[in-house]
Amino acid sequence: MPWVNRATDAPASAALQAVLAAVNAAIYGYGVAGARLGPGPRAAAQQAWTELQAMRDDLASMLAARGAQPAAARAAYQLPFPVRSPHAAASLAGYLEDRLAAAYLGLVALEDPRLRSWGAHQAQACAVRATVWTGQTTAFPGLKP
Amino acid sequence: MRAELKRRSVLAVTVAAVPALAAGCKGVGALGTPPREGPEVAVLRGTIRAEYVMIARYRSALAAAPALRATLSPVLSQHEAHLAALRARLIVPAGAPAQPSLSGPPRPGPAAPGAPADVLAGLAVAESAAASSLTRRLAGLSPSLAQLLASIAASEASHATLLRTRRGTG
Repeated sequence: MPWVNRATDAPASAALQAVLAAVNAAIYGYGVAGARLGPGPRAAAQQAWTELQAMRDDLASMLAARGAQPAAARAAYQLPFPVRSPHAAASLAGYLEDRLAAAYLGLVALEDPRLRSWGAHQAQACAVRATVWTGQTTAFPGLKP
Repeated sequence: MRAELKRRSVLAVTVAAVPALAAGCKGVGALGTPPREGPEVAVLRGTIRAEYVMIARYRSALAAAPALRATLSPVLSQHEAHLAALRARLIVPAGAPAQPSLSGPPRPGPAAPGAPADVLAGLAVAESAAASSLTRRLAGLSPSLAQLLASIAASEASHATLLRTRRGTG
């Protein structure tokens, strides 16, 4: 029965939309960061940017399969702090990854074991990338302190 | 008959209200939802035990390789934060038998070899294993506990990356 499916999938669709929104913000943010980074880190930012584009398409497909309209990206996003140096650019990348981890933890809150497991693995990947950018670790990636 | 049914209803409500009141004493906001008895408590106890072992490993590593203090101390602090968050979720009823996992580090961690590169490599392997193990235990847990454990696993995975990076750069 379609209404039963919709009721079951509503929390999953909302959580996937939140991940999509974080991915779109990160695509914008990595573009800003890349412009301030040296050649080596810039290549890493470009790779992250490309992977996020693929993730955005995957998320759009997952939402469409649930009958949900994928939310469009905004034209611009407010940066958490000014980005005028390579150091600030790396900090921004670390910040974006933590916001992504937070969105993926939203999938971990779902009952669906596949989405929960996938969200947990993605949150780990975000935390690892954040550490590569910042050279630091945190006790609770993606959770508010 | 009717009166007895009513009394039973009242008793049932009272019993059901006890966990909520117990949580209220320590602040519901600080604790989150008290865990249900059952598999969730077993996972919590296992995770707490694993954090104690990890903390003991770091203390042992610090003793064996004091030159690594700048790298290892922040990571050790983060494991102590994990332990505190996990213990806050486990509400032990008064009069319950003491659990070994709650009485402090049960035993010293494995003795760490002295060479810094070996110490870092050993800890990185332990962190990766801990992250994988936690990620496999999420099914069936309450949403908030699953999120906490997933975040701790992400922290541990990033510890492994940090330790491997430091090993490469000396």
